[in-house]
Amino acid sequence: MDKKKLSLVQFKRVRLNEKQLRNFTGFLKTKGRVYAPHRKGEKSFSFQEVDDPSKVVFNYPRTILPLKKFFQPPIETLLEFTINDNSYELPDIDNKNKIFFGVHSYDMQGVLRLDYVFSRGEPEYNYLKRRENSTFIGISFEPDEYHFSGSVGIDVENTEGFSIFIDIVDEDNYVVFACDNTGEELLKEYGIKDFESGEYKLKEREFKAKLKYHYGRLPQIFEKCYNYDVWKKVSERCLGCGNCNLVCPTCYCFDVEDDVDLKIEMGSRTRRWDSCMLNEFAMVAGGENFRKELYQRTRHRLHRKFKYITDHYGYPFCVGCGRCSQYCPADINMVEVVNDLIKEHEEREKVYV
Amino acid sequence: MKKRGKIKVAFFDFTGCEGCQLNKLNLENQLLDILEHVDIVEFREAMDDKAEFYDIAFVEGSISTPECVNRINDIRRRSKVLVAIGACATNGGINSLKNIHDIDEVRETVYREHKYLFPTLPAMPLHAIVKVDYKIYGCPMTQEEFLKVFKSLVMGKKPQQPDYAVCVECKLKENECLLQRGIFCLGPVTRAGCGARCPSFGQSCIGCRGFVSNINQNASIEVLKRYGYSVEEAVKRMNMFNVTEMKM
Ligand code: SF4
Ligand code: SF4
Ligand code: SF4
Ligand code: SF4
Repeated sequence: MDKKKLSLVQFKRVRLNEKQLRNFTGFLKTKGRVYAPHRKGEKSFSFQEVDDPSKVVFNYPRTILPLKKFFQPPIETLLEFTINDNSYELPDIDNKNKIFFGVHSYDMQGVLRLDYVFSRGEPEYNYLKRRENSTFIGISFEPDEYHFSGSVGIDVENTEGFSIFIDIVDEDNYVVFACDNTGEELLKEYGIKDFESGEYKLKEREFKAKLKYHYGRLPQIFEKCYNYDVWKKVSERCLGCGNCNLVCPTCYCFDVEDDVDLKIEMGSRTRRWDSCMLNEFAMVAGGENFRKELYQRTRHRLHRKFKYITDHYGYPFCVGCGRCSQYCPADINMVEVVNDLIKEHEEREKVYV
Repeated sequence: MKKRGKIKVAFFDFTGCEGCQLNKLNLENQLLDILEHVDIVEFREAMDDKAEFYDIAFVEGSISTPECVNRINDIRRRSKVLVAIGACATNGGINSLKNIHDIDEVRETVYREHKYLFPTLPAMPLHAIVKVDYKIYGCPMTQEEFLKVFKSLVMGKKPQQPDYAVCVECKLKENECLLQRGIFCLGPVTRAGCGARCPSFGQSCIGCRGFVSNINQNASIEVLKRYGYSVEEAVKRMNMFNVTEMKM
């Protein structure tokens, strides 16, 4: 067992059955708004506000959109203006208590990475304001064919960011860990008096999808891969639809637009998620497009995940959630693309050394 | 904003179902506000007046006869800004399905022995004949988009219109993706702007707003093949609203 898995042992824990865990979810509603995974359609899941705790899904592979939708909404009004007197008003940003229940470790890491980018340089007020007063409760998951967070250093049981972490043993058996004081307080208030501690044996969980190299070696590849063949090969199959960016927990690009009313007296400025895979993303005034070709856009997207921000953050800006691969209509798979890059790198190094 | 006099606006229609025209007449609630800024000088659906010159001409329908060619040239000459509205005018729309058949066969089927009385051309979008300044996509065009472009033109600025896939709007709404359920959808290659209306109701996008520019057509056919369509079937699906944009 590695270090991270051992770390769960340091926390107090309690065993709950399904009914108790649902009750606990209900209790959380007295503390603020609670958001948790719900079924969405036939095969998908989505974080929604909890109305009826019996509808919360504990065991799910991943939600369509990550938690970023709560802190950087898909479409948001930035300001409302009046043209005649050139005045404007800022909307109220909601920073009331929110509890996010049933979050997977990679999605928590996604939030922490967004925190990093939005608090540097010119801090992103709206994001940071919404992000206030948020509590996160993690839950374990069984990696499916798309998850590969293990390869970017995020174990299923990674507790960073969580106040409580729930390990799913089976459908009626949940081990609930108090990871910080907030978590412990919540459990106590719910009525837990006796906590267990000491040895805890975790289920062995294998990631089926894996990057061929440790993430620490990826910068070495991205240093050299700018003109590799992989980019063109991948983009021959790509539709440039942007699905991969939109569902990604570490993508945060947006576009801003002004709209006015028909009397042309008042208007509003909104922003909406954008995506570097889209046609016009790199287009500037005058119509010049800096990344006209799809392969340039694919290359940019992956550099953005594994090189540009990684250079100052230290970790990849991909958390291995597998959403981009699952939602790609062309079945372009992040793990395969990176592994193909590694392969091309090995081949090229062999030739030139 | 234009101060000197009101802007002269005209509406024209060519080959199409007139759905877009009617969609404008349904703008009752907004029409009064619009009329504060403009004079509508020609609009066959609603009035009989004629004018010599237009600041903005909104043109619906595709070009499909030699007579259409003359008329659109004439309209272009008299218009400062020409806006194509609806799928027929922006990319030929469903009308262009006739282009994949032999033109004589088409005339024969429609007019039988009178076919020589009705000269016809392959259905063409307006931009095949004249310079088009702006396009409002869709079958029919939506009122929201019409108003948006209209307002921008009245204010004298370039309208901001999406050139990205329906998927973008679909994802913003966090709809369950049809692909995930094994159903193919043309959303990944179709131009957004409809708010992903069909997928939001669980229906596949059929591409009525035309393709996003520079689509990767081979890849789209490959994707349709993955969902069990033959190449012919895949092309057929994409052709429905996009004959003039297909590269094969
Ligand atoms: S989701 Fe797939 S097809 Fe669409 S832009 Fe991303 S990689 Fe390309
Ligand atoms: S790049 Fe793909 S796998 Fe990585 S975090 Fe984004 S969506 Fe998840
Ligand atoms: S349902 Fe269609 S439009 Fe929506 S995301 Fe899926 S492919 Fe795109
Ligand atoms: S989803 Fe597709 S078919 Fe439906 S309205 Fe939009 S563009 Fe048209």
